[in-house]
Amino acid sequence: MAKKDQVTSPRPSASTQENEEVDSEGSYSLFNIWVITLVLKLLVSIGYRSTDFEVHRNWLAITYHLPLKQWYTDTTSEWTLDYPPFFAYFEWVLSHLAPRHVIEDGCLDLVEKGEYGMLTVFYQRFTVIASEVVLFLALQWYVNSSRGYTDKKRAFVVACSLVLSPGLLIIDHIHFQYNGFLFGLLVFMINNARLENHLMVGFWFSVLLCFKHIFLYLAPAVFVYLLFGYCLNTELLYAGKISHRVVRWKNSFKLAFTVIAVFTVAFGPFVWYGVMSQLLARLFPFSRGLTHAYWAPNIWAIYSAVDRVCLQIYFRIPVSRSIFQYIFQFDPSNLLNKETLKSSTRGLVGDSEYLILPEIKPQLTFFLALFYQIMALIPLILQPTFRRFVGSLTLCAYASFLFGWHVHEKAILLVIFPISFLVSRDLELLDSFNLLVSSGYMSLFPLLFTCEEWLVKVMFAFLWYVIFYFNFRKVTRIPKSIGGQGRLSLGRMINSYILGLATILLCTSIMDLYTHKFAFLRKLEFLKLVIISTYCGVGVISSWNIFSWYYFMNESIWSND
Amino acid sequence: MGNPGSKKNVSKNSRQHKQGKVSSGSKRGRPVPSSTKKESVYKSTVLYGIFKNFERAPDQWEARYILILTAIILRAAVGLAPYSGMGEKPINGDFEAQRHWMELTIHLPIDKWYFYDLQYWGLDYPPLTAFHSYLLGKLGSLIRSDWFAFVSSRGLESVDLKTYMRYTSILSELIVFIPAVIDFVNIMGKKVNLSRMDQILVSAIIITQPSLILIDHGHFQYNSVMLGSFLFSLTDIIKGNYIFSAIWFICSVNFKQMALYYAPFIFAYLFSLLFKNYYDIKSGRSVWKVLWSFDIKKLFLLGITVIITNLIILLPFVIFGPYSIKHISNVLLQILKRVFPFERGLFEDKVANFWCTTNIVVKYKEKFTVEQVARLSLVTTLATLIVPCSLVMYKMLFKRSFSTQSISSAKEKALLYGFTVTSWLFYLFSFLVHEKTVLVPLLPSTLLVILNDSEVTPIVQWINNVATFSLWPLLKKESIILQYVATLFLINWLVGNFSVKSTTNFLVPKRSLFWKVIIISTYIAMLLIHFVDACYAPPSKYPDLWVLLNTTLSFGCFSLFCAWSMYKLYVLT
Repeated sequence: MAKKDQVTSPRPSASTQENEEVDSEGSYSLFNIWVITLVLKLLVSIGYRSTDFEVHRNWLAITYHLPLKQWYTDTTSEWTLDYPPFFAYFEWVLSHLAPRHVIEDGCLDLVEKGEYGMLTVFYQRFTVIASEVVLFLALQWYVNSSRGYTDKKRAFVVACSLVLSPGLLIIDHIHFQYNGFLFGLLVFMINNARLENHLMVGFWFSVLLCFKHIFLYLAPAVFVYLLFGYCLNTELLYAGKISHRVVRWKNSFKLAFTVIAVFTVAFGPFVWYGVMSQLLARLFPFSRGLTHAYWAPNIWAIYSAVDRVCLQIYFRIPVSRSIFQYIFQFDPSNLLNKETLKSSTRGLVGDSEYLILPEIKPQLTFFLALFYQIMALIPLILQPTFRRFVGSLTLCAYASFLFGWHVHEKAILLVIFPISFLVSRDLELLDSFNLLVSSGYMSLFPLLFTCEEWLVKVMFAFLWYVIFYFNFRKVTRIPKSIGGQGRLSLGRMINSYILGLATILLCTSIMDLYTHKFAFLRKLEFLKLVIISTYCGVGVISSWNIFSWYYFMNESIWSND
Repeated sequence: MGNPGSKKNVSKNSRQHKQGKVSSGSKRGRPVPSSTKKESVYKSTVLYGIFKNFERAPDQWEARYILILTAIILRAAVGLAPYSGMGEKPINGDFEAQRHWMELTIHLPIDKWYFYDLQYWGLDYPPLTAFHSYLLGKLGSLIRSDWFAFVSSRGLESVDLKTYMRYTSILSELIVFIPAVIDFVNIMGKKVNLSRMDQILVSAIIITQPSLILIDHGHFQYNSVMLGSFLFSLTDIIKGNYIFSAIWFICSVNFKQMALYYAPFIFAYLFSLLFKNYYDIKSGRSVWKVLWSFDIKKLFLLGITVIITNLIILLPFVIFGPYSIKHISNVLLQILKRVFPFERGLFEDKVANFWCTTNIVVKYKEKFTVEQVARLSLVTTLATLIVPCSLVMYKMLFKRSFSTQSISSAKEKALLYGFTVTSWLFYLFSFLVHEKTVLVPLLPSTLLVILNDSEVTPIVQWINNVATFSLWPLLKKESIILQYVATLFLINWLVGNFSVKSTTNFLVPKRSLFWKVIIISTYIAMLLIHFVDACYAPPSKYPDLWVLLNTTLSFGCFSLFCAWSMYKLYVLT
């Protein structure tokens, strides 16, 4: 009996596996998820929207009413057009698709301050939802182009985690922006890299750059990947046989032609009209402050927080004054000026200055970011494979997010998107991923300060975390040698950090509840933001450290199998 | 067994040997032993496609978390909608009523609650609602005292107040209704052999039905507490805890008098449980012995429970006030008068019940006095109620499948169908019906999806759609339009009604031509009414014409559904 069982047992298991594979053909569709999230997006569309809504409405008006040469010179409204040309073309298309009722509603009025009704709101919300289809298509393509049962399953979990991202819900569908669509293009680029269509990588990335120049953060990685993976013959190069054959001329010309063509289509008309200098001034406004209206959770948030703490110590403990004075060599007369103090403790809107710690120059932030980006590129130069490429994309995004000049917390999506394509590769990357998404998404919460959306944003982020914490765990590859005690305690630390996030969320929400009642809480308004961004900053920096460790030290994750 | 879903799978996929075997077994008509799990009809729904990924987890606790979190998100998102009477000074709507009750309960001594300024949203719900308001009012005052400041807060409208009220409504539902649904599905699911996963699917279908979401979180009320308490009561009957069942039921009635719609049947059912079934009598079976087996001790216990629960609920009114018989009786009488305001009239606005619909032909308000009409509706309601109640009592006493030895789930099914029939009869024929009252008969009707029957579920989903449709005039007035469309779309999408393949949707029952015709034509009529409502103004002679079309169609569907469930109850063995 037992023997017979042994003989027959492989068969049913084989057939069930077959069943699963047959099953898989139809079931890895993102369509149902799209429909269900569509309902949620529709329901939140009538809620809070930020000034970005008015910004984009004004862009619709500019592109609808003005000739192309005036797009980047118009100053009717303070919300001037400051995205690259493709985005302007995109707005032009949207403005011409607007139905008559929407136009009558005031959607396309070129005025200083727009006056419009719900129809305009619905139309613009609709354009966000409709353009986000690009993301779904890109990820569906990513899933469909995966081969094999496990790969497909992994790809599906990754795709779901990205389309359901609370970041996109908060930023795109409540706060109002078009990130879903743009990140769709990024996914096109990444999947082309996976399929080794280098030319298409170049094409999609230049398109992306012409839509939104924030993707310049990723440019070094793409450049090096294409240079060493496509334009140069690395085998000859590393063998030391330097000759003209090191350069693959045909590839290089193809790529150069593609990229130049895309940029010509984008910027050509503006060069023709001679408005390039205004355009560039709009795209790169170096006059803005180091930390934005809210504090992105990066190095500078922690730096500012330390500065604030030092300031308090300086005032409370007289002994410390001379010590601070000795170390940092600042001008104490600044501290006596009430006005500067007020502006710095307010910290909400406007540029925050440092009072005790030394001032940070834009050049310094630039060099720091560049240094860490170059560090990330070195392994890519030696090994221009897909995984290395995505890893270096992630690290480039990390470096510019953590050290960059005038970083917005929304830029965290730039890190989360590429890293998502890597986590399913190895269980060890999951720690870093969990830290990043929990602190990154949490840092987006202050964007929506209205109480009505509180439950939606918090519950949606929590739901997302619950679903994908377990699902990633189920599908990721378990490495042969998994770290022992060290890794275990790291995991525990991460979990307690995430619990800490919940506590901080609770505390700051309670502070919010009582601001109207207690005057001292109103004074501490900035403290809330400091707490959130500092704590989240710690999380993002730690996740960066863990990720870098595996990027540089663990060879097995990055090689092709 | 032998549902079309499994056959389709087999024909599509001959490679699936295992399933093929199962279905060939069922074709031969082999009786399915009750211990094996019945194949689920919900396997082809979109809902299953989503939850499938979490099926392997032990106990499916993940899926349950996801279900509850999604329910909260959906409710919070619907809550962004305007509430009833938003911006309509000076009287506002139900939202202001609820807020006003919180205000008055925290500021007045308890014996004044039911007397205070009756013209401006005087308290007219039973004591538990008052206590609930008191609690939420106190809690809200901790956050912001001006939300519920005495008199000066009347008609107050602010975003944070709205948010607070919305969150209390979500919290109430989360504490009472959702656990009640999950508990019910768990207990009842065991009786009808549903797998763990199917239990979650069924709970999801029940929790996502739009009517309750739209009324509680759009229009703004706390119906979920009343419905949840009733559901706990129902679950306790199935478990056999009759005392707890009685307590829960009294709580439900004391939260909202509408729960009395369930009273006749719960009385009839519990009463018949006091007798022994004919087949449970060991020797010398006879009708007399059945009647003789009446358990008077149990009756006494139940009676005492009901009385004591009511006393405990009313106790605060007695304790916190002057100790004089006259005063106390005065207060209690006032509560009774406020809770049952017979002077208000036969119906409010336009309701899809018998009186409102026939009112088109026979003008009741002109022909009869209020008292006569009340008597008329009372007699009609009681007369129609006698039929299902006595039928169930007869079956409980004299049918073999209702005896304790029987392993069939006939008793539980009778419970569901019985509540469905009687509460619909109440809705259709009773006095003082409001369009929101449809939630009461809708709950037991929705619970029928647990029977896992591909012939029943489409009809239940149909009546849910019709009930939501019947709320349209109310929701339109309050501009909860987007939410109406979105939630209605969502639930039908989830059960697969938009699927083109006929095997994977619950649009129509597969076998009955009658229902196919009825359901399809109803949906077409609904779409037409929505179309004319959106595109044309009603003729000036009949300004309510579109609303009347709506209520008439709904009335027809409700009566048909009521008749169908009566028939199901009749043929139940």
